Amino acid sequence: MLLDVANFAGVRLGPGTLYGALSRLEEDGLVEALPLEGRRRPYRLTDAGLAALRGRLTGLNAAVSIGLARVANR
Amino acid sequence: MKPILRLYPSAWRRRYGEELSDLIDAMPSTPATTLDLLRGAAALHMRGLVDRIAPRLVSAGGPPMPTHSLQRHPTATALVAALIAAPTAIFVTVSFLAYQLELPGMQAWLQPFMDGLQQAPRIVDLLLVGAPFLAFLIAALPLIGLRLERIDGELRVTLGLRARTLNVIVLGVCLVVGGFLVNYFLAEFLVR
Repeated sequence: MLLDVANFAGVRLGPGTLYGALSRLEEDGLVEALPLEGRRRPYRLTDAGLAALRGRLTGLNAAVSIGLARVANR
Repeated sequence: MKPILRLYPSAWRRRYGEELSDLIDAMPSTPATTLDLLRGAAALHMRGLVDRIAPRLVSAGGPPMPTHSLQRHPTATALVAALIAAPTAIFVTVSFLAYQLELPGMQAWLQPFMDGLQQAPRIVDLLLVGAPFLAFLIAALPLIGLRLERIDGELRVTLGLRARTLNVIVLGVCLVVGGFLVNYFLAEFLVR
């Protein structure tokens, strides 16, 4: 997960930051833990998590579109 | 880095500790990672505190609000109080043996320390005298259950007491030591 975040976002999360966020997301019902796969514990988005992520990305997308349009006009 | 995991809240550690421990095993140990883990532990404690207290401070009803979380750790609190009171308790005990019971050799053994104490800054005296009273308060806090709750718009304060052996022992020691000191200073004051 750390590598995935580093690859697509260019941010290196520390283990404390990752698990702090993960526990908060699980507490809020946005992700859920799946059964262990060996020593790995996979997580997946819940329906609420998917909706929240979609909303957040849509908002970001709108901000990016407006920002790019304004930059292009200068 | 694994000892840092002990700093995380125990409930959180039971749920995520093993996973985080495995992740730490797979990572190189760097100062940045250590700092990140420390920051994570602090953030979780803060989150727990805020989650417990903040909604209740602003709500007009809901469950009663405990005034402190020390009740969860009465033993640790008693040990901290004992540590704070220990120097004064030892000093008072040795002084009692030397000057009240006049055990042979004790006064000569204690004299250099007493001389040093007389030349020490006044803050040392104050710390020695204040320590048992501070320790008393710390040991007593987990035994007092002060709860604030709002019922039908009225603020209700409930005071409850409970007994924990270790805390009660520390309270007793603090009372004896504090009483001895008060007695000593009263005697000094009256003599002057």
